[in-house]
Amino acid sequence: MTLPVPTTGARRRPAPGNRRWLLLRAGGVVFVLWAAATITFFALRLVPGDPAEAILGGPGSQAGPEALDQVRREYGLDQPLVVQYLTYLGRLATGDLGQSYSLHKPVATAIGEQFGATLALALCSLALAWALACALAAWSVRGGRIAWAIGSGLELVAAAVPHFWLATVLILFFSITLGILPPVSVPGPLGIVLPALTLAIPLAGFLGQVMRESLLTAMESPFVTTARARGESEARIFWRHTLRHAAIPAVGLSGWAFGSLISGAVVVESVFARQGLGRSLLSAVQLRDVTLVTGIVLVVALAYTVMTLVTDLADRAIDPRVRAVPQ
Amino acid sequence: MPSRRFSRPRAAVVVTAAVALLLAACSPGGGTPGEPSGEPVEGGTLTYASGDAEPSCLDPHVGGNYPQALIATQYLESLVSLDESGEVIPWLATEWQEGDDGLSWEFTLREDVQFTDGTPFDAEAVAANIAHVQDPATASSTGYLALAKIENVVAVEDHLVRLELSMPDSALLESLSQIWVAMESPKALERSQEENCAAPVGTGPFVVDEWERQDSVTLVRNDDYTSPPADVPADAGTGLPYLDTIVWRFIPDSASRYAALQSGEAQVIDNAQPDTIRSAESDEAIQELDAPRPGAANRIELNSGKAPFDDERVREAFVRSVNVDEGIESLFFGTAERSYSPLSSVEPLGLSLPELFTVDTDAAAALLDEAGWTERDADGYRVKDGKRLTLDFPVSTNQSIPAEQSLFEQIQADAKEAGFEVRLHPLDLSSWYGALAENDYDLVSAPYTKVGPDVLRVLYHSDSIEPAPSGYFANLAQVDDPALDDLLTRASATSDPDARQSLYEQAQRIILEGYHVLPLYDQQNHFLHSSTVQGLRAMPTVSTPTFAEAWLAS
Repeated sequence: MTLPVPTTGARRRPAPGNRRWLLLRAGGVVFVLWAAATITFFALRLVPGDPAEAILGGPGSQAGPEALDQVRREYGLDQPLVVQYLTYLGRLATGDLGQSYSLHKPVATAIGEQFGATLALALCSLALAWALACALAAWSVRGGRIAWAIGSGLELVAAAVPHFWLATVLILFFSITLGILPPVSVPGPLGIVLPALTLAIPLAGFLGQVMRESLLTAMESPFVTTARARGESEARIFWRHTLRHAAIPAVGLSGWAFGSLISGAVVVESVFARQGLGRSLLSAVQLRDVTLVTGIVLVVALAYTVMTLVTDLADRAIDPRVRAVPQ
Repeated sequence: MPSRRFSRPRAAVVVTAAVALLLAACSPGGGTPGEPSGEPVEGGTLTYASGDAEPSCLDPHVGGNYPQALIATQYLESLVSLDESGEVIPWLATEWQEGDDGLSWEFTLREDVQFTDGTPFDAEAVAANIAHVQDPATASSTGYLALAKIENVVAVEDHLVRLELSMPDSALLESLSQIWVAMESPKALERSQEENCAAPVGTGPFVVDEWERQDSVTLVRNDDYTSPPADVPADAGTGLPYLDTIVWRFIPDSASRYAALQSGEAQVIDNAQPDTIRSAESDEAIQELDAPRPGAANRIELNSGKAPFDDERVREAFVRSVNVDEGIESLFFGTAERSYSPLSSVEPLGLSLPELFTVDTDAAAALLDEAGWTERDADGYRVKDGKRLTLDFPVSTNQSIPAEQSLFEQIQADAKEAGFEVRLHPLDLSSWYGALAENDYDLVSAPYTKVGPDVLRVLYHSDSIEPAPSGYFANLAQVDDPALDDLLTRASATSDPDARQSLYEQAQRIILEGYHVLPLYDQQNHFLHSSTVQGLRAMPTVSTPTFAEAWLAS
């Protein structure tokens, strides 16, 4: 959970027309991508380590001076940094992510091979986190003060556990003691259970905490009293009315949560030996593979902005007040 | 051992193995004599879980590191191999002859061998492989150094090749036994590097079938395999290999890797950590293969190229004040044996001088006094001319396992008692190489794998202080001794075994008695495998396990 939590209040002001809103958001996406590309490009140039050397076999390579010169020319590394930056932006604009020197293949191909696995993991984790958060809320909201306290305590603990620790505990319990789930990723749905659970539990704790407060407010709202007066069951009131209210801030956070899942994937993909971009990113940074790192950062940034857009749309669907046009 | 109810793939293996057993019963079995568990079973899929970084290229000519060697051992073969005692034995070359001047070597090649793409193995293929390793565009590092003295390759006849050298090289055969210069199909080498990296073509018992990045490489049986090295019993030859498929997985986390072995997801794991090996001892379903790597022992190099270690007395004082034995015992749980040699225990020419490394804090204190480090500052560290006795120790967190990093911390604590301030700097690989290139270190531990005692020339000849353009240099102890240079140069030029042994012994004596290194233990190379895996052995060359003769007992 390393990303700052955006406030949801700003989105509450009456929205402009749908088309204009979408255009504005698309412009935002382009800006975020440009900023991500620029920051990554310059940050990686500040890190010690010669890119030409990385191309010729990585740290400690014993490449000769001619080979290094040739590589510098070939990759334009002998040009001034500004020229390199502009060439790089120009190539990005045409959709060319460049060649990964550590993998001996195009960056786009390398990302293409890994993206699906990370996306599947992130979406499964998000769904699982929502399921866990709602289940816990449903139980604790109707179980009296003790259940409320237990629920809130569990959420606090869940939100705080580090991924690598949780992964080890889950492997010990489900794979070694019970022997019902594989400790490392295997093809098929069984393989994703433990990795998704590892990412989902802390996130569920976090979503639960966000929902809890608004749940409390909603429970005391007049419409709940009205519903009770109509004779609706407590379960129906929870699922139909209060949860819908309580979910609004949490839905808004799902875009942010998606970003945090991808950063968590770096740990989880390594521990469970899963394919994925998180693992690619880790080894690319270690090998100083600049093009691969920037490529992955861009794709993640794109996925993150798209996801935020989707949650905003969802927000508008759940909460009619957001899409109300001022008179 | 806890129950293992997750057994779907295991059941599949059992079924396959059962079918294979039926098939095997119909054909005359080619059992290796001395195998403990009866007739080999043909067929089956074995999963190998590697803790090493996934290679970026499956062709070990490119770059040339140990993870590449591990997997390439299953599909590539070399001109020569070594037997258990370290003697050079035939493999793809049946015999060889050194010219009288030591500048040319003729190799007679096997005539019945084909690469798995159908290209015949011949003298032209050898020439193409050496050219590939020496081509700067290949960016070979390990293989390039091994073949540095080869100037010209002549295909004398179809199956007779002559290597012409720039200077005599007594290490040539040992160099050629290494997997980093193994033979690949010349036709396959003509493909782009991207293609060749993804599926190199060799003559080995398995063939690269598919590489799913960051997951696994699938190796399938080479049905036409004919060319095991000479130490494989002749009657085992035709039936090899027994396994149908090897799934080569990459599981970086050591706890997950062990869990995969326990749960049956994997049958062999590498990079087993000391605590894991210890806990596996009580598990009958798991066995260990300990295969120390050849070349240099793991050791701490004392940088004699600058103060304070340019003074031999200070080096000896440091070595005498740290209790390495105790640290190894407590941190490695008896899985690593203390070394007193610059060479690995698998090198027949290694010289061990334990008496130089006994702990003697009084002697250390006297040496430091003598060297002028007489004062102590408020923190208890020795001081000379107002300068504290400080040692910088960059530690590569990629190369030093957790137990080794803890050992360095114990050494730091011991050295503090004697008045040394050891500053440990844990670094990632790029920054670590950076610190070495800047000469920003007094102590360092760097592994080096190479077959044969010629590794001493690489590591301690003064030529190796000269950095490559990348800043890389191998002589990290910065030993600059003309007498040692002379011994190492003569040793690498003589092929008389007795003279060679005597020269390398004198060279090691100089290195050890000059307190240039503090030997720790062999380069650790521990494998754990399920008891169902039979016939697994490590190659006597670079200690990589080979599955050519391995099979899965039902």
